[in-house]
Amino acid sequence: MWINMGPQHPMTHGLWNLRVKIDGELITDCDPEMGYLHRGIEKISEDRHYNEVITLMDRTCYVAGFAWEHLYVLAAEEALHIQPPERAEYLRTLCEEFQRIGSHLMWYAAFVQDIGLMSPFLYGMRDRDLVLDLFQSYTGARMTYEYMRVGGVRNDLPPGFTGHARKVLDWLSDRFVEYDRLCLGSDIFRKRCDGLGVLSAADCVATGVTGPMLRSAGVKRDVRRDRPYAAYPQLDFDVAVADGADVTARYLVRMEEMRQSVRLLRQVLDWLDHHPGPVLADRLPRWLGAPYAPVGKEEYVLKRNYPKGVGFSSIEEPHGEAQAYVVNEGSEHPYRVKFRSPVFANLSATRHYLVGYRVADIPPIMGSVDICVGEVDR
Amino acid sequence: MQSDDVARTVAAQIGERFLGLEPFPRTAGRLRFRSEAALPLFHTVKEQLGFHHLSMVGGIDWVTHREVFYVVWSDDRRQYLLLSADLPAAAPHIESAASVWPAANWHERETWELVDIQFDHHPDLRHLLLPDGYEAHPLLRSFQLHEPEELEVKQRSV
Repeated sequence: MWINMGPQHPMTHGLWNLRVKIDGELITDCDPEMGYLHRGIEKISEDRHYNEVITLMDRTCYVAGFAWEHLYVLAAEEALHIQPPERAEYLRTLCEEFQRIGSHLMWYAAFVQDIGLMSPFLYGMRDRDLVLDLFQSYTGARMTYEYMRVGGVRNDLPPGFTGHARKVLDWLSDRFVEYDRLCLGSDIFRKRCDGLGVLSAADCVATGVTGPMLRSAGVKRDVRRDRPYAAYPQLDFDVAVADGADVTARYLVRMEEMRQSVRLLRQVLDWLDHHPGPVLADRLPRWLGAPYAPVGKEEYVLKRNYPKGVGFSSIEEPHGEAQAYVVNEGSEHPYRVKFRSPVFANLSATRHYLVGYRVADIPPIMGSVDICVGEVDR
Repeated sequence: MQSDDVARTVAAQIGERFLGLEPFPRTAGRLRFRSEAALPLFHTVKEQLGFHHLSMVGGIDWVTHREVFYVVWSDDRRQYLLLSADLPAAAPHIESAASVWPAANWHERETWELVDIQFDHHPDLRHLLLPDGYEAHPLLRSFQLHEPEELEVKQRSV
């Protein structure tokens, strides 16, 4: 018998439909049905100026807006032959790592609630708000930041930011210990998570699964280390891995990633304290689109004299490996923008980690995938 | 490992249907090939050159023709490789990569419905992001963005 879990179901965390074929309680087949949130972001981008696409990026994944902004500006800069200043690269790294913590905390809150622990949900949301407060202090927004620009970032940090950010990091480091005690010490948690949703390393590679799901199977692949971008070549961190490839292993990987993010952020904050400088490249072409460079910094270049190009970027988004492909064909708008969403690939493998388990196992397993439908459907 | 061994190995396998390896920043390059050679090329790239992870498949409508591109990753080389083939605009089709990299399944479904590229021998070529029975291909340049459209969503049978 086929049953629909979704498009509105507490398990889905977004608008999608998981069709599962069941034999009694046993799952024998499944077929995710996507597209409820398809907004045509790739098509709309073909009709926007380069900087206007950034607005769409925040909406691609609403819990990891910074990661998607970063992904896009890296590809667009390559396509347009623009080099951002060094301080902007550090600021982007700061954004991305804080976003990773924010996204993982959101995942933590939603995931533990799925398996019946209500208090950790409130703790996760409370601590994520501290990260959002930091974002608000320098972008003015808590979710849709529109902070990065092709050629740098919009503005520098307000005075006193780094001190405040360090306090938040100290607070979070202590909380991670509590989270572990709450979850790993809970019999309910262990009984609902251990040994579920196993996806072996070989299956992960074959089906294109990346991110914490891949690393929970013991594969040490992380774009930040393997093909470093922005400020990552100068920073020191370990790639979080676990073995077991089950729901608990994915929990352990994400928790370790947050600790590594704290470690990265301390290095970034130290650098930012000692290296003032410009945050936006000089003489940016005017046709990048509003809101563009500050008045007097733009250059009135006619687009027809500007070289064509193709940009490709790949970053380690909180959910896995995200990629962008931007084609600049000599108009003010990108000719084609294509994104790879890590969750898209992770969801396409559902058959490999759901079949053989029981209906009651679906919420913890799908929770451990960390789904963001916005970036799957785009 | 060097990028020239990529060109050498691929040329040895598919001969004239290999159209060159262009430099592409911070990757092993962009490999251009004729679409008839798709399947032997995929096997070579995966099994002999070690690009085991398929990251994405995408299509571009160049109006005069279509382009299909693949991004693959090798853990040993720690490098991406881009594969790209030109297809005629009249009846663009290419062999599906899903038998080599199962990851291609959803990416090809998406490329088929958005850019109208047919993937031969695909195990499950049906709509993914767009409703069943939707006939237009939104990522074609001929698709008008500013005209209102009436859409009838059919009930999917369960």
